[in-house]
Amino acid sequence: MPSIDALDQRLQDLTLPYRPQREWIEGRGLLVVIAHFFSGVGAGIWLFSLALDYDAGLIISIVVMAVLAGGAHLAFLGRWQRFWRMILRPHSSWISRGLLGIALFLTGAILYVLPGVRDTTFGSAMLAVSILGMALILLQKGFVYLVSKAIPFWNISLLPFLHIAYALRGGAALLLIVAAAAGEVFDIDLLEVIKLWVVVSSAVLVLLYLVLANNAGPAAKRSLQELVAGRISPAFHGGAIFLGLVIPIFLGTIGSTAGLWRGLLAVVGLSSLAGDFFVQYCIVKAGIYLPIVGELPPARSYRGRPRLF
Amino acid sequence: MRYGMVIDLKRCIGCHGCQIACKAENGTRPGTLWARVLEQELGTFPNVRRFSLPLLCQHCRLAPCVEVCPTGATQKRADGIVTIDSDKCVGCRYCLMVCAYGSRHYQAEPWTYFPGNGVNPYEAMAYASHPTGVVEKCDLCLSRVERGLQPACVVACPAKARTFGDLHDRHSDVTRLIDERGAFRLREDTGACPSIFYLPP
Repeated sequence: MPSIDALDQRLQDLTLPYRPQREWIEGRGLLVVIAHFFSGVGAGIWLFSLALDYDAGLIISIVVMAVLAGGAHLAFLGRWQRFWRMILRPHSSWISRGLLGIALFLTGAILYVLPGVRDTTFGSAMLAVSILGMALILLQKGFVYLVSKAIPFWNISLLPFLHIAYALRGGAALLLIVAAAAGEVFDIDLLEVIKLWVVVSSAVLVLLYLVLANNAGPAAKRSLQELVAGRISPAFHGGAIFLGLVIPIFLGTIGSTAGLWRGLLAVVGLSSLAGDFFVQYCIVKAGIYLPIVGELPPARSYRGRPRLF
Repeated sequence: MRYGMVIDLKRCIGCHGCQIACKAENGTRPGTLWARVLEQELGTFPNVRRFSLPLLCQHCRLAPCVEVCPTGATQKRADGIVTIDSDKCVGCRYCLMVCAYGSRHYQAEPWTYFPGNGVNPYEAMAYASHPTGVVEKCDLCLSRVERGLQPACVVACPAKARTFGDLHDRHSDVTRLIDERGAFRLREDTGACPSIFYLPP
């Protein structure tokens, strides 16, 4: 049965001066955020697993990217059967570039992890292909929003850097959870230091982003108000700030001085992962379109008639 | 050739006739308004004026929706009309994110005008060209324009507030109005160069 509420909502939105974007966040639109979140986590895990020489992480990365990110992307589409068409315009569309990135990543990564391939020339080529795909995915996550001049809160040049930082955070966080579950299988101390550094730097990026948004015009300022004190503030303060920044920095600092144990690793990883999701959720949810009517030119004065505006 | 439209805000009386004419011509589903009218206020008290702002797809010269469409479903024709091929659209809704005018509509559900009673013969015929799971928008009544007719909203306007024509023809009514009356475009700051011009209220 069609939802009458959704119909009324759409008609009401068309009359608002500041229209919130809903298609990429509400209902099935939430799958966009989920897809971008998991594609970032998948890319981050791949990078850290390569750096730490952790084979299970490589497999996890492929599963996250193919099943969770790919599945969420497909489930979001209105006509998923035609998804292959989305790769046709990489010269102009960031969605095409993202799909190209996923295709390159999965091709390169799956062939790279096959037994007996890794130490060959072909294996090196596949590693390069997977890294190229990973880089495209990391870039696409931010640029896909950045190009929208209609939503000034997204049209801030820092956004791609923020998404890259959070993708790396997500990858490191999932690896921490894996380490907590499986016991130490790679250099945990090194990963914890990297993780703490990425968390602190992403906190700085979030702060900078909010400052830039405050100066990006009335629509962006309105988004910022929604984020800090409006309808999105519970998710922002509770999820992005407390879970995503306060807990990881606090526990990470304790861990670096008092030593690491499995429970602590798991909590840091889980809270960080949840925070990563909420940051992306909040940024997408806070998207508000430019008012359709900006500054109108003054009416021309006509004979005998006072010019009012 | 580049089709465009000039809308005289001084003439528009806010009757929403264009909205209804568009509905009748294109048979769009509930919740989809290819043409719509916003009620606006201008100025500050006590010098305030209320006016109606008719809106439709702006058929931008540098349309961002064409740029970002990953499948090529959204295309710009040689005559400047931006169209959507519903057979190519995957329903990713990226075009909705970059359109500053709210002119695009994603048809998520098969909404009908009489829920629970099925569709009447008119709806059955009209909805055949409005599939769900894809994005749709105004095409300046392409089927009429190709037959040498004017868009339905232009013909239906009782105040003759709308003028349709070729923006590249120096002698057309649209270019004359733009030159003589100081026309402006909505949200020029996005750099999309719309083909719909407005005359000040």
